[in-house]
Amino acid sequence: MAKVSADSVKNIVVACEAGMGSSVMVAKQLAKQLKANGIEVTHAPVNQLASTTHDLVLCHRSLSQRAKQAVPESVVIAFDMFLGDMNIARLVGALQTGQDISDD
Amino acid sequence: MANFIPAGDGTHTGWRAAVQKFGGNLAGMVIPNIGAFIAWGLLTALFIPTGWLPNEDLSSMVGPMIINLLPILIGYTGGRLVHGQRGAVIGAIATVGVIVGTAIPMFLGAMLIGPLAAWVLKKIDELLDPRTPVGFEMLIGNFSLGITGMLMAILGYLGIGPTVNAFSDVLGRGVQTLIDTGLLPLASILIEPAKILFLNNAINHGVLAPIGVIQAEEMGKSIMFMLETNPGPGLGILLAFWLAGPKILRGSAPGAIIIHFLGGIHEIYFPYVLMKPLLVLAAIAGGATGVAVFLVTGVGLVATPSPGSIFAYLAVTPAGNHFGVLLGIALSAAVSFVVAWTILKATGSKDDAADLEAAQAKARAMKTGASE
Repeated sequence: MAKVSADSVKNIVVACEAGMGSSVMVAKQLAKQLKANGIEVTHAPVNQLASTTHDLVLCHRSLSQRAKQAVPESVVIAFDMFLGDMNIARLVGALQTGQDISDD
Repeated sequence: MANFIPAGDGTHTGWRAAVQKFGGNLAGMVIPNIGAFIAWGLLTALFIPTGWLPNEDLSSMVGPMIINLLPILIGYTGGRLVHGQRGAVIGAIATVGVIVGTAIPMFLGAMLIGPLAAWVLKKIDELLDPRTPVGFEMLIGNFSLGITGMLMAILGYLGIGPTVNAFSDVLGRGVQTLIDTGLLPLASILIEPAKILFLNNAINHGVLAPIGVIQAEEMGKSIMFMLETNPGPGLGILLAFWLAGPKILRGSAPGAIIIHFLGGIHEIYFPYVLMKPLLVLAAIAGGATGVAVFLVTGVGLVATPSPGSIFAYLAVTPAGNHFGVLLGIALSAAVSFVVAWTILKATGSKDDAADLEAAQAKARAMKTGASE
C-alpha cells in the first residue's frame, strides 16, 4: 500500500461526493491546524481526485474505496467523524512530528 | 503508523460504491448549479401570482429559467464531467434538443444526453486528433463539435426527449398515487437508511428533485423536495446523542447540531448512526412523521433546499406554507429524538473510550462488510 513521509506532504486534499459541502468543512478545520507546518489543505469531488494536485488524500470511510480507485498510488486516509475524529488527530500528530504515513 | 485503518481494497468494487458513483455523477451535474436553482426558487417564491410580491413582469423569468436555463446548465455540467470544455459545449447543445421536444422541465433528459453527447465527441476527437494536419486543428475542432452537436440535438429531440417524457409520466403518476393514497411516508423506509450510507445526494438530486421540478412547474410547489432534505430527523438524533449518548461523543454533538441544522451539512450525523445502526429506526420514524405532516397540511417547496439547512428551507417555502413546513420539521425532530433517546438508553452505552473504540470498529466492520 501507498506510503509517504511527513516532510514530503505539502498538499492535502479532502474529498467528498460533490467537493462542496462536508469536504470544505473538514478542509477548513484541518488547514487551521496545519498552517504552521506550511501544509496546504484543499477540497475536491472524489470523482476528480486524479486531476487534483495532492500528496495525501483524506476522505470519509464510506468514500475511501472510490478514492483509492481514483488514485491508487496515493495515500488515502479515511476518517469516521466530521468533528473530532481520531484518525485525523493521529494524522496531524504524525505530520507535526515528522513520521512516515501509510494507509495500510 | 500501523494503526491507520486500511482505506478499502482498491481491487474490490462494492455494490454501494457503484451505486454511490453513479448517483455521485448525477449529483455532480446538479450540485455545482444549485446557485441557479436558488435564484429561480427565489424569483418563484417572490413574484408568481401566489407569491409574496406578485409581479407579472418579473415573474415572466420563472418559466424560461426552469424550462431552459436549468436543464442546459445540467447538460453543460454533465458534458464537462466527461470531456472538459468541449464536452460542456456539446452537452448544452444537445440538451436544447431534449428541451424543445417536450413541455416538462427536462432534468432527467439533460442528465442523460449531456454526458452522452460529450462521450460521443470524445470518441470522435480520439479518432480525428492523430489525423489532423498541422494548422487545421481549429477548423476541424470547431466543425467536428458543430456537426456532432447538431446530430446529438436532433437525436435528443426525436429520441431521448419523448422517451424521458413518457418515463417521467409513469414516474409522476406513480408518485401521485403514493400521495393520493397517503402511502408517501413509507418512502422514508428506503430514503433514511440510504441517506446514512451516503447516498443522500444521489437520491435527492438524482431521483427526487427531477420529479419535484415537474410538479413545481405545474402546481407551484412540490413535496418531493422535502423527502430527503428534511433536517428534522438528523436534529432529533443529534439531540438524543447530546443528552443520552456515550459521554465521549456528547462534546461534539452541539457543534454537529449547528453544522447540520443551520449549515445544512447532513453528512455530519451519518457517522453517529453508523456507530449505533439501530438508530436508523429513529431516522425512519422521524422522516415518515415529517412526510405525513407535510402531506396532511398540503405543503410543498418551490425548489430543492440545498444544502438542507433550516435557512434554505425557509427561503424556498412558498407563502402560506410556513406553518406546515415548520410543524413537519419540528415533529419529525421530536419523534426521532424520542426513538433515538429510548434506543440509546436501552442499549446502555458504557461511558469509556474503549466503548467508543468498539463502536467505531463495529461501524467499520459493517461498512467494509457491505462491500465484500
